[in-house]
Amino acid sequence: MDAALIPEGAKRCSFPKFMLGIAIVGAVLLWGVYAMLLCWFKGLNQTNMNDYYGFALWIWADLAVIAVGGGAFFTGLLKYILKIDELKNIINFAVIIGFICYSSALLILAIDIGQPLRGWFIFWHANVHSMLTEVAFCLSLYFAVLTIEFIPNILENRQLNKVPFFHHLAHNMHGTMAIFAATGAFLSFFHQGSLGGVAGVLYGRPFAVREGLLIWPWTFFLFTWSAAAFGPCFTLLVTRITEAVTGKKLVKDNVVHLLAKISGWMICTYIIAKIIDTIYWATVTAPGLGFEMSHFYTNNSFYGYWILVTEVIICGVIPGILLINKTTRENHSLRLLAIILGVIGVCLNRWVMVLQVVAVPVMPFDTWALYIPSWQEVATTILPVAYGIILIAVTYRYLPVFPQERELNQSKAQES
Amino acid sequence: MQDKKAHKFGMVIDLDKCTGCGSCTVSCMAENNIPFKEDESDKKDSITWMRVYKLTNGKSFPDTQTAYLPRPCQHCGGKGDHGHSPCVSVCPATATDYGYDTGIVSQIYTRCFGCRYCMVSCPYHARYFNWWDPVWPEGMEKYLSPNVSPRMRGVVEKCSFCYHRYQLAREQAYYNETDEIPEDAYQTACTTACPAGAIIFGDLNNPSHRVHQIVKPDPHPDPLNHDVVGKSRNPKVFRLLERLGTNPKVYYMSEKEWIRKVGDSYLDGEWDKMKNHHGSASHD
Amino acid sequence: MKVDRRSFLGLGLGAVAGIAISPVGAKLTDDSSIWTQNWPWTPVPPDGKITYGQSVCTLCPGTCGINVRKIDGRPVKIEGQDTYPVNNGGACLHGIAGLQYLYDPCRVKTPLKKNNGRFEPISWEEAITLVAGRLGKIRENQRPDSLACITDTNLGSVPGLFSHFMTAFGSPNHFTMQTLESWLTQTAQTLHGSGHTLGFDLDNADFILSFGAGIIEGWGSPVACFKANSGRMQRGAKFYQIEPRLSNTAATADKWIPIHPGTEADLAMAMCGILLQENLFDPEFAAGFRGGLNRFNAMVQQKYPVDQVAAITGISAADIKKTAIAFAKAKMPVAVPGKGRGDGAQSLKEFAAIHTLNCLTGNINKKGGTFVKPVPGYLAFPDPVQDAVARDGAAQEKLAGSAQELVTKIHQSDAPVVDTLFVYSANPCYSLNDPMQTRAAFEKIPFVVNFTSFMDETALASDVILPISTFLERFEDVPSKAGFAGLVVGLAQPVVDPVFDTRSPGDALIHLAKTLGGTMGDSFDWPDYKTCLKSLVPGIWNDLSKSGYAVVSQGPPAGRVRTDFAFLAENPSTIQPQGDADLTLVPIDDMRVASTAPASSPFAIKTVSDRVIKNRDMFVEINPKTANGLKDGGFVTVTTPAGSAKVRLNFNEGIMPGVIGMVKGLGHTFDNRYVAGKGVNVHELISPVIEPGSGLDAAFGVKASISKA
Repeated sequence: MDAALIPEGAKRCSFPKFMLGIAIVGAVLLWGVYAMLLCWFKGLNQTNMNDYYGFALWIWADLAVIAVGGGAFFTGLLKYILKIDELKNIINFAVIIGFICYSSALLILAIDIGQPLRGWFIFWHANVHSMLTEVAFCLSLYFAVLTIEFIPNILENRQLNKVPFFHHLAHNMHGTMAIFAATGAFLSFFHQGSLGGVAGVLYGRPFAVREGLLIWPWTFFLFTWSAAAFGPCFTLLVTRITEAVTGKKLVKDNVVHLLAKISGWMICTYIIAKIIDTIYWATVTAPGLGFEMSHFYTNNSFYGYWILVTEVIICGVIPGILLINKTTRENHSLRLLAIILGVIGVCLNRWVMVLQVVAVPVMPFDTWALYIPSWQEVATTILPVAYGIILIAVTYRYLPVFPQERELNQSKAQES
Repeated sequence: MQDKKAHKFGMVIDLDKCTGCGSCTVSCMAENNIPFKEDESDKKDSITWMRVYKLTNGKSFPDTQTAYLPRPCQHCGGKGDHGHSPCVSVCPATATDYGYDTGIVSQIYTRCFGCRYCMVSCPYHARYFNWWDPVWPEGMEKYLSPNVSPRMRGVVEKCSFCYHRYQLAREQAYYNETDEIPEDAYQTACTTACPAGAIIFGDLNNPSHRVHQIVKPDPHPDPLNHDVVGKSRNPKVFRLLERLGTNPKVYYMSEKEWIRKVGDSYLDGEWDKMKNHHGSASHD
Repeated sequence: MKVDRRSFLGLGLGAVAGIAISPVGAKLTDDSSIWTQNWPWTPVPPDGKITYGQSVCTLCPGTCGINVRKIDGRPVKIEGQDTYPVNNGGACLHGIAGLQYLYDPCRVKTPLKKNNGRFEPISWEEAITLVAGRLGKIRENQRPDSLACITDTNLGSVPGLFSHFMTAFGSPNHFTMQTLESWLTQTAQTLHGSGHTLGFDLDNADFILSFGAGIIEGWGSPVACFKANSGRMQRGAKFYQIEPRLSNTAATADKWIPIHPGTEADLAMAMCGILLQENLFDPEFAAGFRGGLNRFNAMVQQKYPVDQVAAITGISAADIKKTAIAFAKAKMPVAVPGKGRGDGAQSLKEFAAIHTLNCLTGNINKKGGTFVKPVPGYLAFPDPVQDAVARDGAAQEKLAGSAQELVTKIHQSDAPVVDTLFVYSANPCYSLNDPMQTRAAFEKIPFVVNFTSFMDETALASDVILPISTFLERFEDVPSKAGFAGLVVGLAQPVVDPVFDTRSPGDALIHLAKTLGGTMGDSFDWPDYKTCLKSLVPGIWNDLSKSGYAVVSQGPPAGRVRTDFAFLAENPSTIQPQGDADLTLVPIDDMRVASTAPASSPFAIKTVSDRVIKNRDMFVEINPKTANGLKDGGFVTVTTPAGSAKVRLNFNEGIMPGVIGMVKGLGHTFDNRYVAGKGVNVHELISPVIEPGSGLDAAFGVKASISKA
């Protein structure tokens, strides 16, 4: 039915089967859209946020998708700037994932703010001192960059590519992609960092506040570094999931191993920095403000030391070690375990730096504040996941996302 | 930035006199058109610019003691008192700003787009979000004051030190052809309401004002923490979370040591060392 | 022209680019943000000329002068009046929220008549004719005494007019709600003879020994007391608080002495004994003692030995002695009775014993002392004109000693006790102990006429409602009340035209009397209430109309005071709480919750702690030691002989083990979603116990048990 649109030589499931899958995910998407409309028309009283939880699930989701979407800028940096050519086989997918993550982040922000119609005030009345202003500018610009990086891949669709203009446009854009990759890396460095800065500059919140370099608190650098480190994990994870769903091998092992190795070394260096940061904060910064470390991890029913151990050791040190070690890295299951742990680790880090920050009492007579999101918050957070699945399904079906797909699946195709 | 004539409006609250009666809270709500909902028992979703906290010394019967602490916006001067208050420095749209001529942290409701970053930055929970459309029972909107615009849903609001009263006082001074705003010409709604006379408001920069005389603010940075400026040289006076370097303009006063201790966080044993430094006349 | 793919794409891209660079986008974006700033459902208060109006708040017995800021005549803010001699600036939260009462959702907007259980609006003319018809029948039947009347107080011209009406009509049955004033008047009457009441010069005393008086919980005139409390800190005057619970008053006191609830009288008696034994009483003042000081002395020494009282009260003998001696040796000591706000159920024995401490020190009618002063007598009512029927009726014996006793009597009697009941400015169906019983009693009264501004529990139980203007809409003289040292009469004045079809209660009564005609009309020979008021206060009208208040008396009253010990020498029995469970439940007075009429405003309810009310559930305070494994915040059932209620536990180290407390003033059942339907009315758990001597309700608490719900 849609055979003319499917990339040449690629095998795809039947159109009805495809549409059935889309419909199922689409139903989840509609649920999210319904919740989104509730939030827009009835206001944020639809959420379980409150005056203690001004930032909650959504801001966490924002930070998390941007962190895991960091695979796009970092892979782009490696491929176009550092000229690691093997990565061309995964860069398209990394860009698509990045595009999904960043568009999701913007959508969530549009739901999250109390006055969405005034959202543009962040540009118009910009406060240069605010980390959020930096985030907004870099995020929007980088999203534009991602869109530009995504376009050539779209234009490579079999039918679109027949239009000479599009064909040449795609070709020429590929040629100039290094410039965009560099711009993207630069912008990403800043907005990933500013997102870390968002927490780090909160000098009224001893759990979040960090000393730093010039105007940038240490979290600025930690966030950039962790996005670069764990982003590729997410790219690999989504690739692996796509392979599992499609039942095909899409990227060659050497490419996967290479990216995993780079990610592993990044994770290891990051986690060392993170451990130093934590120790310094726990022994110098917080006590200097009158807070023992235990203040942040006791006297409440959820936030215990377990969260720190999980984030730093189980989901930081362990995946790092698994990925820098050749045997474990090249072991299918252990590598999968490592990238899953890595993705959890970075998401947990973002959770802690958003939600634990506001959960901890600061005034001595204040109390811990715990929070459970409302279904509207959950639905609107799942909404981008559903949207991401649909976009991946559509792009995979109609665009030559994986350059190695044909080669890897030729023999199979011939056999059948 | 601070010219010679700049005011620095601030407050001293005598916690020994405070009865916890709630007049300040209600006066504030009536003055500033603060709405109310059917259920206001969720204090994390209840707009009270002036919130009264209950303090306890944590001891058991019969040694237990309690006190109340009214908490308006602290109108922080930020680290080093340079005007980079925790909230002002993070607002992406300049919807909250520091008045260098008054020391008052303003909030522009029509510019706020509701990102709530300022709320996250404020350790005092002085900022409130309009989760709901403000609705008054039929006819009751007739008592709303034109001096403060009712807020629409989706924006953050907070205590303004009754800035509209400052504007009226300034207009009056202009009318009287003087630059001087007399101490009693500009008083916040909570101050005038307090039946116990526990709240004192005025210009911390003006030596003739009672706040200045009680607080005796140290103009120099605290030698132990250079972020802290304007520490009180009165040993009975303290500020909330002073160690964070937020430099609030709301001071508290108590004869009771346990109350003064609850104003900030201290490591084990640290209080006994620090309390002697507290309000030290290091620059006298 | 043939539209091929190329030209279509070109056109499309061109259009997109064109719109993008045109100002349309910017304009729409800008418009959208302006729209959000002018949502039609967010009110924009109209601006206008600022004026001020002065009046006096009558929401509680505090009688504070208020200053109302208005915009084009529209009141927008109430604040304390700086020059008013009661509050001298400052106001309490209820007064400041006064404008919410003006526009309260359950204001009665027009006269109402109950028809088959439903209220229907009628005109004032109809309403007055209806009531007059009923009253006419009563007089035809020669039973004028079957008209009864409950007002909040008996002070001021409006309660005075009700009294005048009752006498002219021929009924002795005018009752007031139980207030601190009624206790103080009874106490003064018992010890010093009728026509007296008590005042306390807290502004100047140097040692205040409070037996649970909530000096900063709304006792007496709240704002005046708050100021006195601040003042005594500055003066360095000592303040001891004797109370089972660490109230706010106890927390600011120099010393908190926890005491088993209901044993205050025993403690005061023992302290009297110490003063007498140690010769620490004032011999000069003792010259005025009458009626058996010696008998009293012998009795207290025998019945209230310190060791025994120490065991009863839970206060060590040493502490009792130390406190009594410190009190007696102070230069200007004052012992203050009246637990909490002072208007709850208590006993005359307790009041008398505590006041006897004052008498022994001799610090009476002196600066910084207790004032034994005449009840306010500034009103010059003409004698009511009575006909034979009225004379006969008025000579009948009064049905009861108090409103509580009346209600109990009606409830218990099979025969009709009262044919018609007037209620003015009171909510007995809520604020008397055992309101279920009160409501049942009201059911049995054939005709209840309620002069009220709000559709409260009692209004719902009435047959005709005459809507009354609030204190912001009418004239009235407002005398300072209970506990206040001097006498200040203020003038409440309309700061705004009545918002609804309401009238001043005085005008309603005058209209009713004139409709009745005959001697009733003669007794109410005033054209309207304002003229009436003017004629009633000839001595102070000038002051009232000029400055809004008149200071009738100030400073210590002159003249010798005689003290009669006969009542106490008989050692009246101490009222015990009903029931035999382990815990004692006491009501708590919380300044932020109004406990009588009118109920709290939405603003006041908003300030209530989430450890008092959470969602719709109410908390009971309990010492963790008494909780027996129950959890803080957990749901429990409190059971007393009067009833049971599901509440949550609030662990409080500041309440004595064995005592539990619930805040008064919650659990309203009328139709106001901001105020009613929250928590439990603690009166539902307590049955009245009428004290034999006073006729007043002495059920200060009740035995209770708790179990997991």
